[in-house]
Amino acid sequence: MTVYEAEVPGVGHKFELELGDEERLIVIIHHDGKREIYLRPGENQDSEKLFSLTGKLARQLGSILEGAYFQPVEMDDIQVPLGEAIIEWIDVDPSAPLVGQSLQEATIRERTGVSIMAIQRGEETIANPQPDTTIEANDVLVSLGTRDEQQQFAALVDSESIDT
Amino acid sequence: MSETLLLEIGIALTGIAVAGAVANRLSLSVIPAYIAMGILIGPNEPSTIAGISLTLVDQREFIDVVAELGIVFLLFFLGVEFSISQLLNDRRRIATIGTVDFLVNFSLGIGLGIAFGYSLLETFFLAGIVYISSSAVISKSLIESGWVANAESGPILGTLVFEDILIAIYLALLTAVAGGGGTVVDAAVAIGGAFVFLGGLTLIAWYGSSVIEQVFDADSDELFLLRILGVTTLVAGFALTIGLSEAVAAFFVGTAFSETNHIERIETVVTPARDFFAAVFFFSIGLTTEITLLTDLVWLLLAAVLVTTVGKMVSGSLSGRIYRLDRRRSMRVGVGLVPRGEFSLVIATLAASVGTGALGGEIPVFTVGYVLVMSVVGTLLIQNADRVFEGITAVSRATRRTETG
Repeated sequence: MTVYEAEVPGVGHKFELELGDEERLIVIIHHDGKREIYLRPGENQDSEKLFSLTGKLARQLGSILEGAYFQPVEMDDIQVPLGEAIIEWIDVDPSAPLVGQSLQEATIRERTGVSIMAIQRGEETIANPQPDTTIEANDVLVSLGTRDEQQQFAALVDSESIDT
Repeated sequence: MSETLLLEIGIALTGIAVAGAVANRLSLSVIPAYIAMGILIGPNEPSTIAGISLTLVDQREFIDVVAELGIVFLLFFLGVEFSISQLLNDRRRIATIGTVDFLVNFSLGIGLGIAFGYSLLETFFLAGIVYISSSAVISKSLIESGWVANAESGPILGTLVFEDILIAIYLALLTAVAGGGGTVVDAAVAIGGAFVFLGGLTLIAWYGSSVIEQVFDADSDELFLLRILGVTTLVAGFALTIGLSEAVAAFFVGTAFSETNHIERIETVVTPARDFFAAVFFFSIGLTTEITLLTDLVWLLLAAVLVTTVGKMVSGSLSGRIYRLDRRRSMRVGVGLVPRGEFSLVIATLAASVGTGALGGEIPVFTVGYVLVMSVVGTLLIQNADRVFEGITAVSRATRRTETG
């Protein structure tokens, strides 16, 4: 793939990316950081402006496209070491009996030893949830505990959902 | 300091701000708007509307100085953005289309000057004024029309690069000739001096880029801005005191930066200062213009607008053909080069500073009228280029039919 670069006096830089056939993606980087993206279907056709971005947005989009900014990972695989204790993210299945119980009723710490540090619910994160916070379906429970305790906790969430 | 000075400057800057906002709303260039605002609230006609005095801002030394800095930094940026590498990479085609552009449009200017009975020097000024296209208006229009991403931007920008060098040489020559004592020997000495000085600046620019790189490597943007403003104004001012063009000196200072890593920083840090100085420059042109004088120049203006619009469209279309573009795109190249603006006004300011005969009065007034028309006409032509093309095609088809039938 060839990338053509040219200066546009008083404006900034222009990059043209060959997309195959005669199609080209054209990126104009303005001196003030603004980016404009055009698509030119063929050599003798007019370029169509697709969108424009501020410098900051463009860098974020760039990292996402590159795969560096946000990498999709399996929630179950995440472990953060904290001395003996580790932090884990546990998905609450809609069928789990914990659903609908408050943290107090669920007595998770008494039964498994882990503490619930936070609950991720959709976009929001409930940090340091109070005893009366209710666990809902599809919550992600962020728990702190030793490896053994975490296993017991995972078993608690899983086994009970199978039992019912 | 007189008590009203600050108030007048405040009115002037607010006027400029309002004019810019209006032009932006109409998606036209801001340059004619700043000039029009200067004419409106300046000391010349129209001085009253319905009995209310409109002479809000007088010609002030402060405005003159800022306007002068406007010229210096317009040319400084021309130098900064002047891409030697682009010129060298594409030198054959750029030289060809630049020559076509120059031959067609400069000659038309010479023809206009002779036809309207101006002297040799006046004609030479006039030719430069109608020849040089406006980088500011054209780059803005290229972005707004999306042409910047099309093939036609190649020859348009190439022509502008060629015009940039030519305007530097032209201004250097003109300053030397106009400022000289009038004899051939004086002129020759002045031209020689100009080229020695500018040659020196070029050598510094060419061989000193690593030194420049270090000297201007300031920690904060504030220090960087001050260094650029200081050195550029100092060199330009020195050039002026020894009888050379301050604008050309600033252009060469700018080219000294064009090969360094400071370009991006100049674009972000110094551009606001340039925009401010340049806006005041256009405004001050309006202040000094007695627009009523234009009524005596209406035929010259009309002829110039018609002839030079067609001239650029023809030379531009040829340039497009040289770049192997199709007919439609070639015509866009022509249309794209129609706007005239800041550099015509820089030449007119030089004419006014010479001040003898038509150079002191008619030529600057004509230039203001010409730029007001051409910046607007040029922008409108670019916005409606496809309709213009269809119109021309239809007309040429019709004439061909009448010829054969």
